[in-house]
Amino acid sequence: MKAAIWAGVNEVTVEDVPEPQLLNDHDVLLRIHKTVTCGSDLHLIGGYIPAMRAGDVLGHEFLGTVVEKGKAVQRVQVGDRVVVPSFVACGSCWYCSQELYSLCDNGNPDPGITEGLWGQSPGGCFGYSHAMGGYAGSHAEYMRVPYADVGCFVVPDGVSDTRALFASDSVTTGWTGAHLGGTKPGDVVAVWGAGAVGQMAARAAMLLGAEQVVVIDRLPERLAQVRQHVGAEAVDYSTTDVVAELRERTGGRGPDVCIEAVGMEAHSTGVQGAFDQVKQQLRLQTDRPSAVREAIRACRKGGSVFVLGVFAGPVDKFPLGAMMNKGLTVRGAQQHGQRYVPEILAHMESGALTTEHLATHTMPLSQAAEGYRIFKDKEDGCVRTVFEPGS
Amino acid sequence: MMDRLLRQAAGLGGAALGKLQHTRIPGVGQASTTEPADVAARRWRAVTVFRDDLAGPFPELEALGPDLEVRLQPAPGGRGTELYGRFHGTPGADRIGELRAALRRTKQLAEVGEVLRVDPQPHGTRKPTVQGAALEGAAARAPKEGVL
Ligand SMILES: NC(=O)c1ccc[n+]([C@@H]2O[C@H](COP(=O)([O-])OP(=O)(O)OC[C@H]3O[C@@H](n4cnc5c(N)ncnc54)[C@H](O)[C@@H]3O)[C@@H](O)[C@H]2O)c1
Ligand SMILES: [Zn+2]
Ligand SMILES: [Zn+2]
Repeated sequence: MKAAIWAGVNEVTVEDVPEPQLLNDHDVLLRIHKTVTCGSDLHLIGGYIPAMRAGDVLGHEFLGTVVEKGKAVQRVQVGDRVVVPSFVACGSCWYCSQELYSLCDNGNPDPGITEGLWGQSPGGCFGYSHAMGGYAGSHAEYMRVPYADVGCFVVPDGVSDTRALFASDSVTTGWTGAHLGGTKPGDVVAVWGAGAVGQMAARAAMLLGAEQVVVIDRLPERLAQVRQHVGAEAVDYSTTDVVAELRERTGGRGPDVCIEAVGMEAHSTGVQGAFDQVKQQLRLQTDRPSAVREAIRACRKGGSVFVLGVFAGPVDKFPLGAMMNKGLTVRGAQQHGQRYVPEILAHMESGALTTEHLATHTMPLSQAAEGYRIFKDKEDGCVRTVFEPGS
Repeated sequence: MMDRLLRQAAGLGGAALGKLQHTRIPGVGQASTTEPADVAARRWRAVTVFRDDLAGPFPELEALGPDLEVRLQPAPGGRGTELYGRFHGTPGADRIGELRAALRRTKQLAEVGEVLRVDPQPHGTRKPTVQGAALEGAAARAPKEGVL
Protein backbone atom coordinates (compact mmCIF):
# COMPACT_ATOMS: atom_id res chain seq x y z
CA MET A 1 0.00 0.00 0.00
CA LYS A 2 1.03 3.65 -0.36
CA ALA A 3 2.12 5.58 2.74
CA ALA A 4 3.68 8.97 3.51
CA ILE A 5 7.04 8.49 5.12
CA TRP A 6 9.45 10.56 7.19
CA ALA A 7 12.63 10.05 5.18
CA GLY A 8 14.90 12.43 7.10
CA VAL A 9 14.90 15.99 8.42
CA ASN A 10 12.58 18.08 6.21
CA GLU A 11 12.06 15.13 3.86
CA VAL A 12 8.64 13.54 3.31
CA THR A 13 8.19 10.89 0.60
CA VAL A 14 5.46 8.51 -0.54
CA GLU A 15 6.47 4.86 -0.79
CA ASP A 16 5.04 1.38 -1.13
CA VAL A 17 5.05 -0.28 2.28
CA PRO A 18 3.64 -3.61 3.58
CA GLU A 19 0.03 -3.56 4.79
CA PRO A 20 -0.51 -3.60 8.56
CA GLN A 21 -1.82 -6.70 10.30
CA LEU A 22 -3.80 -7.44 13.45
CA LEU A 23 -1.24 -7.98 16.23
CA ASN A 24 -3.47 -8.11 19.32
CA ASP A 25 -6.98 -9.42 20.01
CA HIS A 26 -8.19 -5.88 20.78
CA ASP A 27 -7.02 -4.49 17.39
CA VAL A 28 -8.92 -3.40 14.33
CA LEU A 29 -7.68 -2.51 10.87
CA LEU A 30 -9.07 0.61 9.23
CA ARG A 31 -9.25 1.68 5.62
CA ILE A 32 -8.33 5.35 5.83
CA HIS A 33 -10.60 7.86 4.06
CA LYS A 34 -9.05 11.08 5.29
CA THR A 35 -5.85 11.83 7.19
CA VAL A 36 -4.46 15.24 7.92
CA THR A 37 -1.32 17.26 8.70
CA CYS A 38 -0.92 18.55 12.28
CA GLY A 39 1.35 21.21 13.76
CA SER A 40 2.87 18.41 15.85
CA ASP A 41 4.16 16.77 12.66
CA LEU A 42 6.17 19.91 11.91
CA HIS A 43 8.19 19.35 15.11
CA LEU A 44 8.93 15.80 13.88
CA ILE A 45 9.66 16.74 10.29
CA GLY A 46 11.97 19.57 11.36
CA GLY A 47 13.97 17.13 13.50
CA TYR A 48 13.08 18.70 16.86
CA ILE A 49 11.95 15.31 18.21
CA PRO A 50 14.93 13.05 17.63
CA ALA A 51 13.27 9.62 17.98
CA MET A 52 12.11 9.39 14.34
CA ARG A 53 13.62 6.65 12.17
CA ALA A 54 13.83 7.12 8.39
CA GLY A 55 10.94 5.09 6.96
CA ASP A 56 8.42 5.82 9.75
CA VAL A 57 4.84 6.38 8.54
CA LEU A 58 3.50 9.82 9.57
CA GLY A 59 -0.01 10.91 10.57
CA HIS A 60 -2.21 10.84 13.68
CA GLU A 61 -5.45 12.67 12.81
CA PHE A 62 -7.70 10.47 10.68
CA LEU A 63 -11.04 8.88 9.88
CA GLY A 64 -11.71 5.50 8.32
CA THR A 65 -13.84 2.36 8.05
CA VAL A 66 -13.25 -0.82 10.04
CA VAL A 67 -12.28 -3.62 7.64
CA GLU A 68 -11.10 -6.33 10.05
CA LYS A 69 -11.30 -6.87 13.80
CA GLY A 70 -9.55 -8.95 16.45
CA LYS A 71 -11.47 -11.55 18.42
CA ALA A 72 -11.70 -9.53 21.65
CA VAL A 73 -13.27 -6.47 19.97
CA GLN A 74 -16.94 -6.14 20.94
CA ARG A 75 -18.27 -2.60 20.56
CA VAL A 76 -16.91 -1.85 17.09
CA GLN A 77 -18.10 -3.69 13.97
CA VAL A 78 -16.65 -4.25 10.52
CA GLY A 79 -18.11 -1.54 8.27
CA ASP A 80 -18.33 1.12 11.00
CA ARG A 81 -17.18 4.62 10.00
CA VAL A 82 -15.03 5.72 12.91
CA VAL A 83 -12.89 8.55 14.18
CA VAL A 84 -10.00 7.73 16.56
CA PRO A 85 -8.08 9.99 19.00
CA SER A 86 -4.34 10.12 18.32
CA PHE A 87 -3.38 8.67 21.70
CA VAL A 88 -3.53 4.94 22.33
CA ALA A 89 -5.30 4.06 25.59
CA CYS A 90 -6.22 0.70 27.13
CA GLY A 91 -9.36 1.74 29.02
CA SER A 92 -8.45 -0.51 31.97
CA CYS A 93 -5.61 1.12 33.92
CA TRP A 94 -6.01 3.66 36.73
CA TYR A 95 -5.24 6.64 34.45
CA CYS A 96 -7.92 5.54 31.99
CA SER A 97 -10.35 5.16 34.92
CA GLN A 98 -9.62 8.83 35.73
CA GLU A 99 -10.28 9.74 32.06
CA LEU A 100 -6.67 10.87 31.68
CA TYR A 101 -6.37 8.75 28.55
CA SER A 102 -3.15 10.17 27.11
CA LEU A 103 -1.44 9.09 30.34
CA CYS A 104 -2.49 5.45 29.89
CA ASP A 105 -0.04 3.04 31.51
CA ASN A 106 -0.47 0.47 28.75
CA GLY A 107 -0.44 2.63 25.62
CA ASN A 108 3.29 2.78 24.93
CA PRO A 109 5.09 -0.52 24.33
CA ASP A 110 8.50 1.21 24.60
CA PRO A 111 8.16 3.26 27.81
CA GLY A 112 11.90 3.28 28.51
CA ILE A 113 12.71 6.29 26.34
CA THR A 114 10.20 8.72 27.85
CA GLU A 115 10.63 7.38 31.40
CA GLY A 116 14.30 8.22 31.10
CA LEU A 117 13.50 11.71 29.79
CA TRP A 118 10.64 12.69 32.07
CA GLY A 119 10.57 10.29 35.03
CA GLN A 120 7.34 8.63 33.89
CA SER A 121 6.05 7.52 30.51
CA PRO A 122 2.85 9.01 29.05
CA GLY A 123 0.84 6.88 26.61
CA GLY A 124 1.68 6.16 22.98
CA CYS A 125 0.65 8.18 19.92
CA PHE A 126 0.17 7.05 16.32
CA GLY A 127 2.85 8.14 13.87
CA TYR A 128 4.78 10.03 16.52
CA SER A 129 8.26 8.53 16.79
CA HIS A 130 9.79 5.67 18.73
CA ALA A 131 9.59 7.67 21.94
CA MET A 132 5.79 7.55 21.71
CA GLY A 133 5.46 3.85 20.91
CA GLY A 134 6.76 3.45 17.37
CA TYR A 135 3.25 3.05 15.88
CA ALA A 136 2.85 3.48 12.14
CA GLY A 137 0.78 6.57 11.40
CA SER A 138 -2.40 7.18 9.44
CA HIS A 139 -0.99 8.60 6.19
CA ALA A 140 -1.54 5.24 4.51
CA GLU A 141 -4.28 3.23 2.85
CA TYR A 142 -4.69 0.96 5.89
CA MET A 143 -3.88 1.30 9.56
CA ARG A 144 -3.91 -0.81 12.71
CA VAL A 145 -5.67 0.58 15.81
CA PRO A 146 -5.02 -1.21 19.14
CA TYR A 147 -7.62 -1.19 21.98
CA ALA A 148 -10.29 -0.54 19.35
CA ASP A 149 -13.26 -0.64 21.73
CA VAL A 150 -11.72 2.25 23.67
CA GLY A 151 -10.36 4.31 20.77
CA CYS A 152 -12.87 3.96 17.90
CA PHE A 153 -15.96 6.19 17.89
CA VAL A 154 -18.71 5.63 15.34
CA VAL A 155 -19.50 8.85 13.46
CA PRO A 156 -23.23 9.71 13.34
CA ASP A 157 -24.70 9.53 9.83
CA GLY A 158 -25.49 13.23 9.71
CA VAL A 159 -21.85 14.30 10.25
CA SER A 160 -19.63 14.52 7.15
CA ASP A 161 -16.18 12.92 6.94
CA THR A 162 -14.48 16.29 6.82
CA ARG A 163 -16.28 17.62 9.89
CA ALA A 164 -15.75 14.45 11.96
CA LEU A 165 -12.11 14.06 10.97
CA PHE A 166 -11.04 16.86 13.29
CA ALA A 167 -12.59 15.11 16.31
CA SER A 168 -9.49 12.92 16.12
CA ASP A 169 -6.98 15.54 17.25
CA SER A 170 -7.57 19.29 16.68
CA VAL A 171 -10.92 19.56 18.46
CA THR A 172 -10.11 16.99 21.17
CA THR A 173 -6.89 18.81 21.95
CA GLY A 174 -8.60 22.19 22.08
CA TRP A 175 -11.33 20.71 24.26
CA THR A 176 -8.76 19.22 26.63
CA GLY A 177 -7.19 22.66 27.11
CA ALA A 178 -10.45 24.53 27.58
CA HIS A 179 -11.91 21.94 29.97
CA LEU A 180 -8.86 21.08 32.09
CA GLY A 181 -7.82 24.74 32.04
CA GLY A 182 -10.95 25.16 34.14
CA THR A 183 -13.09 27.31 31.80
CA LYS A 184 -16.32 28.28 33.58
CA PRO A 185 -19.41 30.16 32.39
CA GLY A 186 -18.63 33.87 32.29
CA ASP A 187 -14.87 33.45 31.97
CA VAL A 188 -12.56 35.41 29.70
CA VAL A 189 -10.29 33.03 27.79
CA ALA A 190 -7.23 33.92 25.70
CA VAL A 191 -5.70 31.45 23.25
CA TRP A 192 -2.20 31.75 21.76
CA GLY A 193 -2.01 30.29 18.23
CA ALA A 194 -4.76 30.30 15.60
CA GLY A 195 -3.85 26.97 14.02
CA ALA A 196 -6.51 24.27 14.06
CA VAL A 197 -5.72 23.46 17.70
CA GLY A 198 -5.95 27.08 18.92
CA GLN A 199 -9.14 27.75 16.95
CA MET A 200 -10.78 24.65 18.38
CA ALA A 201 -9.64 25.52 21.91
CA ALA A 202 -11.39 28.86 21.45
CA ARG A 203 -14.57 27.21 20.15
CA ALA A 204 -14.53 24.68 23.02
CA ALA A 205 -14.17 27.51 25.54
CA MET A 206 -17.24 29.20 24.04
CA LEU A 207 -19.26 25.97 24.17
CA LEU A 208 -18.19 25.58 27.81
CA GLY A 209 -19.71 28.99 28.56
CA ALA A 210 -16.85 31.50 28.26
CA GLU A 211 -18.23 35.01 27.77
CA GLN A 212 -15.26 36.53 25.93
CA VAL A 213 -12.65 34.61 23.92
CA VAL A 214 -9.59 36.23 22.30
CA VAL A 215 -7.21 34.40 19.92
CA ILE A 216 -3.67 35.63 19.24
CA ASP A 217 -1.64 34.99 16.07
CA ARG A 218 0.02 36.96 13.28
CA LEU A 219 -1.31 35.23 10.14
CA PRO A 220 -4.14 37.39 8.73
CA GLU A 221 -6.00 34.50 7.08
CA ARG A 222 -6.09 32.55 10.36
CA LEU A 223 -7.20 35.61 12.33
CA ALA A 224 -9.97 36.07 9.75
CA GLN A 225 -11.08 32.46 10.33
CA VAL A 226 -11.19 33.12 14.07
CA ARG A 227 -13.61 36.00 13.54
CA GLN A 228 -15.69 34.37 10.84
CA HIS A 229 -15.90 30.69 11.79
CA VAL A 230 -15.14 30.54 15.49
CA GLY A 231 -16.87 33.77 16.48
CA ALA A 232 -14.05 34.89 18.78
CA GLU A 233 -12.02 38.12 18.91
CA ALA A 234 -8.64 38.13 17.12
CA VAL A 235 -5.42 39.93 18.02
CA ASP A 236 -2.38 40.28 15.74
CA TYR A 237 0.73 39.99 17.91
CA SER A 238 2.98 41.36 15.18
CA THR A 239 1.34 44.78 15.38
CA THR A 240 0.36 45.06 19.04
CA ASP A 241 1.65 44.40 22.56
CA VAL A 242 -0.35 41.32 23.51
CA VAL A 243 -0.18 41.70 27.30
CA ALA A 244 -1.23 45.37 27.15
CA GLU A 245 -3.99 44.59 24.64
CA LEU A 246 -5.41 41.81 26.82
CA ARG A 247 -5.27 44.00 29.90
CA GLU A 248 -7.19 46.71 28.09
CA ARG A 249 -9.80 44.27 26.74
CA THR A 250 -10.44 42.75 30.19
CA GLY A 251 -10.98 45.76 32.47
CA GLY A 252 -7.39 45.58 33.70
CA ARG A 253 -7.73 42.03 35.10
CA GLY A 254 -6.21 39.78 32.43
CA PRO A 255 -7.83 36.59 31.14
CA ASP A 256 -9.13 33.97 33.61
CA VAL A 257 -7.85 31.11 31.46
CA CYS A 258 -4.85 31.32 29.09
CA ILE A 259 -4.39 28.48 26.61
CA GLU A 260 -1.10 28.08 24.77
CA ALA A 261 -1.51 26.31 21.39
CA VAL A 262 1.78 27.20 19.72
CA GLY A 263 4.46 24.76 20.87
CA MET A 264 8.22 24.43 20.84
CA GLU A 265 8.82 26.36 17.63
CA ALA A 266 7.07 29.51 18.82
CA HIS A 267 7.93 32.54 16.76
CA SER A 268 9.05 35.71 18.50
CA THR A 269 10.80 38.87 17.63
CA GLY A 270 13.71 40.85 19.00
CA VAL A 271 16.30 39.76 21.52
CA GLN A 272 14.16 37.13 23.21
CA GLY A 273 13.44 35.41 19.90
CA ALA A 274 17.06 35.39 18.79
CA PHE A 275 18.18 34.12 22.19
CA ASP A 276 15.74 31.20 22.09
CA GLN A 277 16.49 30.25 18.52
CA VAL A 278 20.25 30.17 19.02
CA LYS A 279 19.96 28.17 22.23
CA GLN A 280 17.59 25.71 20.58
CA GLN A 281 19.93 25.22 17.65
CA LEU A 282 22.86 24.62 19.99
CA ARG A 283 20.64 22.15 21.89
CA LEU A 284 21.18 24.17 25.09
CA GLN A 285 17.42 24.31 25.35
CA THR A 286 15.27 22.06 23.21
CA ASP A 287 12.24 24.29 23.02
CA ARG A 288 11.25 27.92 22.36
CA PRO A 289 8.64 28.89 24.93
CA SER A 290 7.83 32.53 24.12
CA ALA A 291 4.02 32.11 24.08
CA VAL A 292 4.08 30.33 27.45
CA ARG A 293 6.03 33.21 28.99
CA GLU A 294 3.58 35.72 27.56
CA ALA A 295 0.56 33.73 28.81
CA ILE A 296 1.92 33.67 32.35
CA ARG A 297 2.51 37.39 32.24
CA ALA A 298 -0.95 38.17 30.85
CA CYS A 299 -2.99 35.84 33.07
CA ARG A 300 -5.11 37.35 35.85
CA LYS A 301 -4.13 36.68 39.49
CA GLY A 302 -5.22 33.21 40.54
CA GLY A 303 -5.99 32.29 36.93
CA SER A 304 -4.91 29.27 34.96
CA VAL A 305 -2.46 28.67 32.11
CA PHE A 306 -2.83 25.53 30.04
CA VAL A 307 0.00 24.34 27.77
CA LEU A 308 -1.31 22.42 24.75
CA GLY A 309 1.65 23.12 22.47
CA VAL A 310 4.13 20.26 22.38
CA PHE A 311 7.41 20.66 24.30
CA ALA A 312 10.04 17.99 24.82
CA GLY A 313 12.74 19.24 27.16
CA PRO A 314 13.93 22.04 29.44
CA VAL A 315 13.28 25.70 28.64
CA ASP A 316 14.96 28.90 29.75
CA LYS A 317 13.60 32.01 31.40
CA PHE A 318 10.46 30.34 32.70
CA PRO A 319 8.77 33.10 34.76
CA LEU A 320 8.51 31.11 37.96
CA GLY A 321 8.26 34.22 40.11
CA ALA A 322 5.18 35.51 38.26
CA MET A 323 3.60 32.09 38.42
CA MET A 324 4.16 31.74 42.16
CA ASN A 325 3.34 35.26 43.28
CA LYS A 326 0.24 35.57 41.10
CA GLY A 327 -1.04 32.25 42.43
CA LEU A 328 -1.42 30.69 38.98
CA THR A 329 -2.33 27.13 38.11
CA VAL A 330 -0.12 25.92 35.27
CA ARG A 331 -1.13 22.69 33.64
CA GLY A 332 -0.50 20.84 30.40
CA ALA A 333 -1.45 17.62 28.65
CA GLN A 334 -1.50 15.65 25.52
CA GLN A 335 -5.13 15.34 24.52
CA HIS A 336 -7.40 13.00 26.49
CA GLY A 337 -9.47 12.39 23.37
CA GLN A 338 -11.45 9.32 24.45
CA ARG A 339 -13.04 11.46 27.18
CA TYR A 340 -14.31 14.18 24.85
CA VAL A 341 -15.10 12.62 21.45
CA PRO A 342 -18.73 11.64 22.27
CA GLU A 343 -19.51 15.20 23.43
CA ILE A 344 -17.69 16.66 20.41
CA LEU A 345 -19.55 14.46 17.91
CA ALA A 346 -22.85 15.52 19.52
CA HIS A 347 -21.93 19.20 19.05
CA MET A 348 -20.91 18.45 15.45
CA GLU A 349 -24.24 16.77 14.81
CA SER A 350 -26.21 19.69 16.27
CA GLY A 351 -24.22 22.16 14.17
CA ALA A 352 -22.79 24.00 17.18
CA LEU A 353 -19.30 22.90 16.19
CA THR A 354 -18.12 23.15 12.58
CA THR A 355 -14.62 22.37 11.34
CA GLU A 356 -14.85 22.29 7.55
CA HIS A 357 -13.04 25.61 7.21
CA LEU A 358 -9.88 24.05 8.70
CA ALA A 359 -9.55 21.76 5.66
CA THR A 360 -8.14 24.50 3.44
CA HIS A 361 -6.37 22.03 1.13
CA THR A 362 -7.33 18.50 0.07
CA MET A 363 -5.17 16.26 -2.12
CA PRO A 364 -4.37 12.61 -2.85
CA LEU A 365 -1.83 10.97 -0.54
CA SER A 366 0.64 10.78 -3.43
CA GLN A 367 1.11 14.55 -3.01
CA ALA A 368 2.03 14.36 0.69
CA ALA A 369 5.39 16.08 0.26
CA GLU A 370 3.74 19.07 -1.43
CA GLY A 371 0.92 19.04 1.15
CA TYR A 372 3.40 19.30 4.02
CA ARG A 373 5.40 21.99 2.27
CA ILE A 374 2.35 24.20 1.87
CA PHE A 375 1.32 23.52 5.47
CA LYS A 376 4.75 24.24 6.87
CA ASP A 377 5.19 27.46 4.91
CA LYS A 378 1.57 28.46 5.69
CA GLU A 379 1.31 29.10 1.97
CA ASP A 380 -1.98 30.00 0.30
CA GLY A 381 -3.73 30.34 3.66
CA CYS A 382 -3.11 26.69 4.54
CA VAL A 383 -4.41 25.66 7.98
CA ARG A 384 -4.59 21.89 7.45
CA THR A 385 -3.84 19.70 4.41
CA VAL A 386 -6.19 16.72 4.16
CA PHE A 387 -4.91 13.63 2.30
CA GLU A 388 -7.23 11.09 0.73
CA PRO A 389 -5.38 7.78 0.35
CA GLY A 390 -8.23 6.33 -1.71
CA SER A 391 -8.20 8.99 -4.44
CA MET B 1 32.79 -2.06 7.51
CA MET B 2 29.52 -0.12 7.33
CA ASP B 3 27.71 -3.09 8.87
CA ARG B 4 30.03 -3.15 11.83
CA LEU B 5 29.65 0.58 12.28
CA LEU B 6 25.87 0.27 12.26
CA ARG B 7 25.97 -2.60 14.77
CA GLN B 8 28.15 -0.52 17.03
CA ALA B 9 25.78 2.42 16.68
CA ALA B 10 22.82 0.21 17.69
CA GLY B 11 24.74 -0.90 20.77
CA LEU B 12 25.58 2.68 21.60
CA GLY B 13 21.94 3.72 21.21
CA GLY B 14 20.91 1.08 23.72
CA ALA B 15 23.66 2.11 26.11
CA ALA B 16 22.78 5.81 25.74
CA LEU B 17 19.24 5.00 26.80
CA GLY B 18 20.59 3.16 29.84
CA LYS B 19 22.64 6.25 30.69
CA LEU B 20 19.72 8.63 30.32
CA GLN B 21 18.32 7.67 33.69
CA HIS B 22 21.53 8.76 35.37
CA THR B 23 21.95 12.00 33.45
CA ARG B 24 22.61 15.13 35.44
CA ILE B 25 21.18 17.71 33.01
CA PRO B 26 18.65 19.71 35.06
CA GLY B 27 15.14 18.67 34.15
CA VAL B 28 16.25 15.49 32.37
CA GLY B 29 16.66 12.05 33.86
CA GLN B 30 15.26 10.94 37.16
CA ALA B 31 15.57 11.39 40.88
CA SER B 32 18.38 8.95 41.73
CA THR B 33 21.14 10.77 39.88
CA THR B 34 23.21 10.80 43.03
CA GLU B 35 22.91 7.16 43.99
CA PRO B 36 25.76 4.68 43.44
CA ALA B 37 24.76 1.96 40.94
CA ASP B 38 24.90 -0.87 43.50
CA VAL B 39 22.55 0.97 45.87
CA ALA B 40 20.11 1.64 43.01
CA ALA B 41 20.38 -2.01 41.92
CA ARG B 42 19.18 -3.27 45.32
CA ARG B 43 15.96 -1.23 45.29
CA TRP B 44 12.58 -2.87 44.90
CA ARG B 45 11.11 -2.30 41.42
CA ALA B 46 7.34 -1.89 41.42
CA VAL B 47 4.27 -1.38 39.28
CA THR B 48 0.79 -0.58 40.54
CA VAL B 49 -1.81 -2.85 38.99
CA PHE B 50 -5.34 -1.43 38.90
CA ARG B 51 -6.93 -4.54 40.43
CA ASP B 52 -7.83 -5.00 44.08
CA ASP B 53 -7.84 -8.79 43.76
CA LEU B 54 -4.40 -9.21 42.20
CA ALA B 55 -2.88 -12.58 43.15
CA GLY B 56 -0.25 -14.92 41.71
CA PRO B 57 0.99 -17.02 40.14
CA PHE B 58 2.94 -14.57 37.96
CA PRO B 59 4.63 -16.71 35.29
CA GLU B 60 6.52 -13.73 33.81
CA LEU B 61 8.20 -13.13 37.17
CA GLU B 62 8.68 -16.79 38.03
CA ALA B 63 10.59 -17.19 34.77
CA LEU B 64 13.30 -14.94 36.23
CA GLY B 65 14.31 -17.69 38.66
CA PRO B 66 14.41 -18.33 42.40
CA ASP B 67 16.60 -15.28 43.12
CA LEU B 68 13.63 -12.99 42.67
CA GLU B 69 11.69 -11.99 45.74
CA VAL B 70 8.10 -10.82 45.02
CA ARG B 71 5.62 -9.09 47.31
CA LEU B 72 2.16 -7.54 47.03
CA GLN B 73 0.58 -4.70 48.95
CA PRO B 74 -2.72 -2.84 48.54
CA ALA B 75 -2.23 0.60 46.96
CA PRO B 76 -3.75 3.60 48.76
CA GLY B 77 -6.84 5.40 47.50
CA GLY B 78 -8.35 2.56 45.51
CA ARG B 79 -5.48 2.46 43.05
CA GLY B 80 -5.29 -1.34 43.07
CA THR B 81 -2.34 -3.46 44.18
CA GLU B 82 1.36 -2.64 44.28
CA LEU B 83 3.47 -5.46 42.85
CA TYR B 84 7.14 -5.45 43.89
CA GLY B 85 10.13 -7.47 42.73
CA ARG B 86 13.78 -7.52 43.89
CA PHE B 87 16.70 -9.84 43.25
CA HIS B 88 18.77 -11.17 46.12
CA GLY B 89 22.27 -9.68 46.07
CA THR B 90 23.30 -6.99 43.60
CA PRO B 91 21.96 -7.69 40.09
CA GLY B 92 23.53 -6.23 36.94
CA ALA B 93 21.77 -3.86 34.57
CA ASP B 94 20.60 -6.69 32.29
CA ARG B 95 18.85 -8.54 35.11
CA ILE B 96 17.14 -5.34 36.25
CA GLY B 97 16.08 -4.75 32.66
CA GLU B 98 14.47 -8.20 32.53
CA LEU B 99 12.65 -7.47 35.78
CA ARG B 100 11.31 -4.15 34.48
CA ALA B 101 10.01 -5.78 31.30
CA ALA B 102 8.47 -8.68 33.27
CA LEU B 103 6.70 -6.33 35.70
CA ARG B 104 5.30 -4.31 32.80
CA ARG B 105 4.06 -7.46 31.04
CA THR B 106 2.50 -8.80 34.25
CA LYS B 107 0.66 -5.52 34.77
CA GLN B 108 -0.70 -5.56 31.21
CA LEU B 109 -1.83 -9.16 31.45
CA ALA B 110 -3.69 -8.38 34.68
CA GLU B 111 -5.21 -5.11 33.44
CA VAL B 112 -6.05 -5.83 29.80
CA GLY B 113 -5.53 -9.55 29.35
CA GLU B 114 -2.78 -9.38 26.73
CA VAL B 115 0.60 -7.77 26.13
CA LEU B 116 0.51 -4.95 23.59
CA ARG B 117 2.59 -5.71 20.50
CA VAL B 118 4.01 -3.18 18.08
CA ASP B 119 6.16 -5.24 15.68
CA PRO B 120 5.96 -5.54 12.78
CA GLN B 121 4.80 -2.07 11.74
CA PRO B 122 4.52 -0.98 8.11
CA HIS B 123 7.47 1.21 7.24
CA GLY B 124 9.29 2.56 4.22
CA THR B 125 12.98 2.48 3.38
CA ARG B 126 15.20 2.40 6.47
CA LYS B 127 18.29 4.27 5.35
CA PRO B 128 21.37 2.68 6.96
CA THR B 129 22.53 5.71 8.92
CA VAL B 130 24.48 5.72 12.14
CA GLN B 131 21.84 7.86 13.85
CA GLY B 132 19.06 5.53 12.69
CA ALA B 133 20.88 2.43 13.91
CA ALA B 134 21.47 4.06 17.29
CA LEU B 135 17.77 4.82 17.55
CA GLU B 136 16.86 1.23 16.63
CA GLY B 137 19.17 -0.01 19.36
CA ALA B 138 17.50 2.34 21.82
CA ALA B 139 13.99 1.31 20.74
CA ALA B 140 14.85 -2.39 20.97
CA ARG B 141 16.02 -1.92 24.53
CA ALA B 142 13.24 0.44 25.56
CA PRO B 143 10.91 -2.23 27.05
CA LYS B 144 13.68 -3.12 29.49
CA GLU B 145 14.75 0.46 30.18
CA GLY B 146 13.33 3.38 32.08
CA VAL B 147 13.42 4.37 35.69
CA LEU B 148 11.16 1.63 37.03
N1 LIG C 1 -1.44 18.50 23.42
C1 LIG C 1 -1.79 17.76 22.37
O1 LIG C 1 -2.35 16.67 22.50
C2 LIG C 1 -1.58 18.31 21.00
C3 LIG C 1 -2.29 17.80 19.91
C4 LIG C 1 -2.14 18.41 18.66
C5 LIG C 1 -1.26 19.45 18.53
N2 LIG C 1 -0.55 19.90 19.60
C6 LIG C 1 0.38 21.01 19.52
O2 LIG C 1 -0.35 22.22 19.48
C7 LIG C 1 0.43 23.22 18.81
C8 LIG C 1 -0.43 23.87 17.75
O3 LIG C 1 -0.82 22.91 16.78
P1 LIG C 1 -1.43 23.38 15.37
O4 LIG C 1 -1.67 22.15 14.61
O5 LIG C 1 -2.54 24.33 15.58
O6 LIG C 1 -0.14 24.10 14.78
P2 LIG C 1 0.08 25.18 13.63
O7 LIG C 1 1.52 25.14 13.32
O8 LIG C 1 -0.89 25.00 12.51
O9 LIG C 1 -0.30 26.56 14.35
C9 LIG C 1 0.53 27.20 15.28
C10 LIG C 1 0.17 28.69 15.22
O10 LIG C 1 0.89 29.38 16.25
C11 LIG C 1 1.21 30.68 15.73
N3 LIG C 1 2.29 31.27 16.54
C12 LIG C 1 3.64 31.08 16.44
N4 LIG C 1 4.27 31.80 17.39
C13 LIG C 1 3.32 32.44 18.11
C14 LIG C 1 3.36 33.34 19.22
N5 LIG C 1 4.51 33.67 19.77
N6 LIG C 1 2.18 33.80 19.70
C15 LIG C 1 0.97 33.43 19.16
N7 LIG C 1 0.89 32.59 18.08
C16 LIG C 1 2.05 32.11 17.58
C17 LIG C 1 1.58 30.39 14.30
O11 LIG C 1 1.51 31.57 13.49
C18 LIG C 1 0.54 29.35 13.90
O12 LIG C 1 -0.62 29.91 13.35
C19 LIG C 1 1.66 22.49 18.27
O13 LIG C 1 2.74 22.64 19.17
C20 LIG C 1 1.23 21.05 18.28
O14 LIG C 1 2.34 20.19 18.40
C21 LIG C 1 -0.71 19.35 20.83
ZN1 LIG D 1 -1.69 16.42 16.37
ZN1 LIG E 1 -5.00 2.75 30.22
